[in-house]
Amino acid sequence: MATAKSHPSMSEVKIVPTGGCYDCGGRCLHKVHVRDGVAIRIDTDNAEEPQLRSCARGRAYRQQLYSPDRLRFPQKRVGSRGEGRFERISWDEALDTVASQLLLIKGTYGTKAILEVTLSGGVGALHTGPMTIGRLLSGFGGCTPFWGDASAEGAIFAARTIYGTLTNGNTRDDLVNSRLILLWGVNPATSIFSTNTRYYLFKAKEAGVKIVVIDPRYTDTAATFADQWIPIKAGTDTAVMASMAYVIITENLHDQGFLNKYTLGFEKFRDYVMGIEDGVAKTPTWAEAKSGVPSDIIVWLARQYATDKPAALIPGFAPGRTAYGEQYHRMTAVLAAITGNVGIHGGGAACFERPVVGPMVPPGFSKFFEGGNYEERLKQLDVPRRLRKRPHACRLWDFILEGTAGGYPIDLKMAYIAFANPLNQFPNINKGVEALKKLEFIVVHEQFMTATAKFADILLPVTNLWERNDISRPWTGGSYFLYLNKVVEPPPEVRSDRDICRELASRLGIQDPFWDMPEEDAVRWVAETTEDMMPEIVDYERFKRDGVHKIKRPGPVIAFEEQIEDPDNNPFPTLSGKIEIYSQLVADLNNPEIPPIPKHLDPWEGAEDPLSGKYPLQLLTHHHKTRAHSCFDNNPLLNDLEPQSLWISTRDAQSRGIRNGDKVRVFNDRGETIIQAKVTERIMPGVVSLGEGAWYRPDEKGRDRAGSPNVLTRDHYSPGGAWPYNTSLVQVGKYV
Amino acid sequence: MQIGFYFDQTRCTGCYTCVVACKDWHDVPPGPASWRRVQTIERGKYPKPFVTFLVTSCYHCANPACISACPVNAISKRTQDGIVVVDKETCLGKDKCQLCLVSCPYDAPQFGAEPNAKMQKCDLCLERWAEGKKPICVAGCPTRALDAGPINEIKAKYGEVKEAVGFAYNETLMPSLIFKPKLEVLPGK
Repeated sequence: MATAKSHPSMSEVKIVPTGGCYDCGGRCLHKVHVRDGVAIRIDTDNAEEPQLRSCARGRAYRQQLYSPDRLRFPQKRVGSRGEGRFERISWDEALDTVASQLLLIKGTYGTKAILEVTLSGGVGALHTGPMTIGRLLSGFGGCTPFWGDASAEGAIFAARTIYGTLTNGNTRDDLVNSRLILLWGVNPATSIFSTNTRYYLFKAKEAGVKIVVIDPRYTDTAATFADQWIPIKAGTDTAVMASMAYVIITENLHDQGFLNKYTLGFEKFRDYVMGIEDGVAKTPTWAEAKSGVPSDIIVWLARQYATDKPAALIPGFAPGRTAYGEQYHRMTAVLAAITGNVGIHGGGAACFERPVVGPMVPPGFSKFFEGGNYEERLKQLDVPRRLRKRPHACRLWDFILEGTAGGYPIDLKMAYIAFANPLNQFPNINKGVEALKKLEFIVVHEQFMTATAKFADILLPVTNLWERNDISRPWTGGSYFLYLNKVVEPPPEVRSDRDICRELASRLGIQDPFWDMPEEDAVRWVAETTEDMMPEIVDYERFKRDGVHKIKRPGPVIAFEEQIEDPDNNPFPTLSGKIEIYSQLVADLNNPEIPPIPKHLDPWEGAEDPLSGKYPLQLLTHHHKTRAHSCFDNNPLLNDLEPQSLWISTRDAQSRGIRNGDKVRVFNDRGETIIQAKVTERIMPGVVSLGEGAWYRPDEKGRDRAGSPNVLTRDHYSPGGAWPYNTSLVQVGKYV
Repeated sequence: MQIGFYFDQTRCTGCYTCVVACKDWHDVPPGPASWRRVQTIERGKYPKPFVTFLVTSCYHCANPACISACPVNAISKRTQDGIVVVDKETCLGKDKCQLCLVSCPYDAPQFGAEPNAKMQKCDLCLERWAEGKKPICVAGCPTRALDAGPINEIKAKYGEVKEAVGFAYNETLMPSLIFKPKLEVLPGK
């Protein structure tokens, strides 16, 4: 680590490289200035471009580190569950209690009664759910994990069916090779996704690439990068894309040569689009009625995408976080295929934006399943079969509340929660409150008193990103690894999740040499044993000193380039070896809500739902500018910038007598939240939007006062597993 | 010599990284004082809104109004680089004065929440220049929308546009700032 000596005031300053790494997909380099053991300020990457510059959230991290709200000692509940009254206890008492409860539950009900909830609050290699609680409980004899990827389960389902692999994204530096970029429901100016997506977007824009943003909101991405903004009703993206396919096919703009050579089942899809199958032609007029997108705009967009090649359709996960969201991701891939944009520079396979450089999934995480025989693949797509053993997280609250009496396979008795704030982040908070009250015992690892932490029986204070050593890697567009150096010592009674697991393993009699490795040795073990790191990290000390290892590659990496160039020797990793527009695996699920070719299905709580009479507005839950999910909601520096507010169109506000800044009620049968309104021209009438992640704060009447959208969202999964965060009907009224 | 800023309004996504990086680097606590600020400018009507961002700070004017407004000579302009600096010991504080803020059309002088807070503002990260580094906001901007340097070099590199959406050039004060402005044309097909 370098020592800066050039400036007198800097004489004792040590510069420690570490990361700004949260569940945004970005992985940014921080150079933290430390004096006398105190982090005094942050600088970022200053190497050659593209540098890994962090955003406002990362730059505000000292406020997290030194927050007066940090949990600083173990506590046990003294009030009623969820009341939030706790008493300080010793670590010995806390760990003894957790160990004895684990043994009690195991002895009485078996380990399946223990629910593990670990999410993305830790994005390193070591300090993550699977490498801490997951491994501990595995050694203990098992537990019940939930399944379902909150961000992208729809995209995962789609990628497995159409391409047979989740690795189907081009690296972001390829965007400059496009002629047209469609940013569909994706807002990288705010939600990051990868550190340098914005960097490559302005490079592309300045190189003359045309950029179209399709989104119900005029996002910061639309404001900065878009040549054209196309507002669209939530849950109707698939309809608009089906009608784009109609235009492309009727105008003979599809790439028949590509379809013949590389795909399976185009005819069946064509029959659906043309209305031969069901008597309904998916014309732009048909889609306009559903989506609010004028038919002439749909025609224009279809022609542009089919002819202005190569064109990159970048599908955001947000339109897939809807009822039937998996259909959206399947349809984006089909559009890419029928226009021949797969496997070429400047194009894109448009499904799940996982890169082809390095696995997105850090070591220790269970890998997304890929490949396999018919039976293994079917198992991954068959939701009812997956539910036989574990809950989909969207139904977790019912699973707990109803148990075997309600037809669920297990009666859950205990929850072990770490790196997670499920009460806040899973749908239907009010039901979650009841579910958490029902369990016999809850242990939570946390840095702060979150909504979930308040429901703990034992609450254990844990270290944060800068108080431990680890390794992290970006979701996409990356080609680098970060060494997250420990920057400062944690508060005296705060421990790492790993240390807690080691202590518990010892109390539970679990023999696992993994826990005996000192932290730094374990980090080194990760670097020295992870397949794609081994050839890269040849000088471990240098990696640690620099805090970053950037992988050198000659240029952009393109998903399915080999399959397109030489299909005979490189079949697609599907059962047929082709891009499966028609999926026999999906057909064999025999579920009309998961058709074997992608189709638009009218969502529940959409415009066609009778409920829309009572609750006429569609609620979106966008990623907020100053949070990474629920992280940073308590950061005072970030909270000064943009307050949580409900985006509502001028038209919808005026008809309700709402002015900008007014307090409004947002409600449906599931709950109510009271928050200020942002009355704006930047959102489509009929749609309102609340940033997700705001910390649930109920008042004495049980109404949320934080604008936390999950008091309104429905706890039900899409048939293919997608989480329908963006499928909820609400009403809005002035709060008086 | 005069150091000045460059701001590419077409690249700014309004992400506030410059604001937060500045507050962190200069240890300005949460609260009203912010050496850098981001204004969101929203115009137009759905479905053709116009939105842009304006990043603001002290522009280290060639003829700073604040210097002549200050009754106790707490503000001065460095001859070697034109950076306008404030002597907090001399400043009378916000409860007693605020004449600098009144005189500045760009709201550059900032005051914290504490009683009789002394004026503080952008110092162009003068200690970073001594190490050959650009200001923290410039080094941190995720879309590389900011730059800083001797104003003649900035002009040679980026041109001489002195106005942008939301910003009016003051001929008397002569703020040291060059723009690539966003054109206020509504996005068409």
